[in-house]
Amino acid sequence: MILEFIEKVYRVSKALGTKSPATEDVREHLMHKSERLRGEHRIDYETCIGCDACNKICPVSAITMKQLPFKKQNIVPEVNLGVCIFCGLCEDVCPTKPEKSIVLSGGRYDMITGGWHQDQADFWVNVDVPQSYIDSRLEEEEAARVKKELLAKKKAAEAALKAKEAEVADQTVPETEEKS
Amino acid sequence: MQDLRKALSAHEILSVEVYKTMWLKVRIDSHDLLAVAQTLKDEGFIAISTVSPTDFLEEDRMEMNYFFENYTTKRNCWLKCDIPRDIEACEIDSITPMFPGANWHEREAYSMFGVRFRGHPDLRPIIVSQDFYDKTPFRKDFDWDAHEANTVENIQQIVDAFKEEQEINEEHLDASSSEMILNWGPTHPASGPIRLKVHCDGEDIISIDPDIGFVWRALEHLVTKKDFVGAIVAVERLCFMDNINSMVGYCQAVEEIADVEITEFAKWMRVLLGEVSRISSHAMGMGGFYNAMGLHTVGMWNMDIREYFLDFLESYSGARIATAAIEPGGVRYGLQMNMLDELQKALDKFDATKDDIKTIFVNNPTMKVRAAKKGIITAKEVESFALCGVVARSSGVKIDVRIDEPYAAYAQVKMDYVVQKEGSAKDRLSTLFGELEQSIDIIKQAKRHIEAEIENGNFNPTKDHMVKVPKKLPKGEAISRVEWSRGEVLMHLVTDDKAKSPYRLKMKAPSFNHTMMLNKMLQGETLSDIPLIFGSLYICQGDLDR
Repeated sequence: MILEFIEKVYRVSKALGTKSPATEDVREHLMHKSERLRGEHRIDYETCIGCDACNKICPVSAITMKQLPFKKQNIVPEVNLGVCIFCGLCEDVCPTKPEKSIVLSGGRYDMITGGWHQDQADFWVNVDVPQSYIDSRLEEEEAARVKKELLAKKKAAEAALKAKEAEVADQTVPETEEKS
Repeated sequence: MQDLRKALSAHEILSVEVYKTMWLKVRIDSHDLLAVAQTLKDEGFIAISTVSPTDFLEEDRMEMNYFFENYTTKRNCWLKCDIPRDIEACEIDSITPMFPGANWHEREAYSMFGVRFRGHPDLRPIIVSQDFYDKTPFRKDFDWDAHEANTVENIQQIVDAFKEEQEINEEHLDASSSEMILNWGPTHPASGPIRLKVHCDGEDIISIDPDIGFVWRALEHLVTKKDFVGAIVAVERLCFMDNINSMVGYCQAVEEIADVEITEFAKWMRVLLGEVSRISSHAMGMGGFYNAMGLHTVGMWNMDIREYFLDFLESYSGARIATAAIEPGGVRYGLQMNMLDELQKALDKFDATKDDIKTIFVNNPTMKVRAAKKGIITAKEVESFALCGVVARSSGVKIDVRIDEPYAAYAQVKMDYVVQKEGSAKDRLSTLFGELEQSIDIIKQAKRHIEAEIENGNFNPTKDHMVKVPKKLPKGEAISRVEWSRGEVLMHLVTDDKAKSPYRLKMKAPSFNHTMMLNKMLQGETLSDIPLIFGSLYICQGDLDR
């Protein structure tokens, strides 16, 4: 009788001490992990060459191209995850090497386990291009433009010089012919 | 084949050629259709796989394609004829009185392309909802945007039609009798998105008229809006349970037109992935059979096994269900050896559970008493209604595309037909389980072969998986058949010159033929037999509606 009672007390106190598996947050512990799991996209705006291939191949038109204030390579993809079917074709066609600019595989899966979406806007993979990057790109383009202009001027000057020389030569050639 | 040529020479044949050794491609005049069809029937071509119109807008003609199959000699005949495209004159003789299996296929051609069939016993629209009646949505000049602009009116039309139907039922049924029309589905736990209009007297079924099209996504049209690679995501949505094999069928057709030969490694991978996908489908099919009877245990057990196979698919392709893993030119990803270890885990799991499933469920005495005499399909019916897959083999008909017209690497796989004799609901369950075991065996063969060849250095698992397929294809057309989990899927692909996307893709799906049988099988049975027989037919609404 007393033994039974002690046993019961022991059992209950032991149960109180252990953590119930039901209280554990399993959203971070996957049953099965795959390196290729097609999850949320990661977009690298620095390597993206703005070729529009991912937008063209997307079978459900989930991708829109964001316009950036440059002259070249001035579009970068943004993905609507509410439309996306996670087929991964955009990653397949991305031509940048060695790293692809748009990558799904190994992406975040927690949008299916819940947790981070509070708002419809969370279902967009947006590309936030920092102002410093925009400035540096604009400066680069400006520098390239100036360089090109200078080069063009130089070329023009050279061409003019050549033309002049040719003219002089043209005038001198007949003279030499006459002499001979 | 020579006999058929001789028999056909009695008619006026415009052209005839042998196609892929198994097929005879014949072009005739549309007025000779009935006479030629009669000859074919006399020659043993009793099954008609499908009727597929192709709309050539620029050439102003509608091309009709008929695919006849001979289940004994395994030779097939592909009949083509032209009819005028103009909606008033778009008419051809119906072959339904001769080939009952053509019934719904002709109705589908009528609703999608507006082809009218003279002499068809029951030419009503099928699949499409009321707002698409008389609108021919698959014709090239149909304006989808204009149709979708009036969504509210369209829905109102569907609602009105439903109310009208109920009123007509009220009027026609004798109020003093116990006759009534019962809607079984689309919200019945065992039905899935299909509505059976059951005309019954008390508990006895008088007739059944299936109303299908609840999940019509117009996949055959969607495919023509995507490029050849992007189309795989539409094709795999034929049915998720077995998505790999439908993509294999489509990719084979593309490769044939592009004249590309895929690598041996890709062929074996297609076998391996296809069988994994077949297992995931069959496991659910077995569960569905018992779920319909009200027992969910086997469904849960099978789901448990299935998860291990899905783990392998996830490791390989990155997705569990919609894998998009087969592309024209091979398979989409390379293989890493640790993935095969995961597959081995799944195989071990199946081997550990299969004896329990077999003794408790497949040989279950209660189920045998209940299902042994129900839903019998004879071998003759199988042929005349062009049934295929599990349903056909349960009735003792030996057909299997993997053996009859081997594709991928199936020619090197050792396998035999899994058949039963009587064709009852119980036999279909036994066949399902038999095929599960067969698939496991094929996976083991494929795995062994791939491992050995990698060891020998013949396969390079990270580089051999893809061959380049040009983005633009030449003008052409091809058909490819695969043994899908539910039966034969026939893909008829037509491309235009320098095409970037398919011009027309007809997908013949097995559930369409099987659902056609419901009325015949359930007449005279009682209401409680509907879930049992419906569940045993292994129907999926995905490929029923497309």
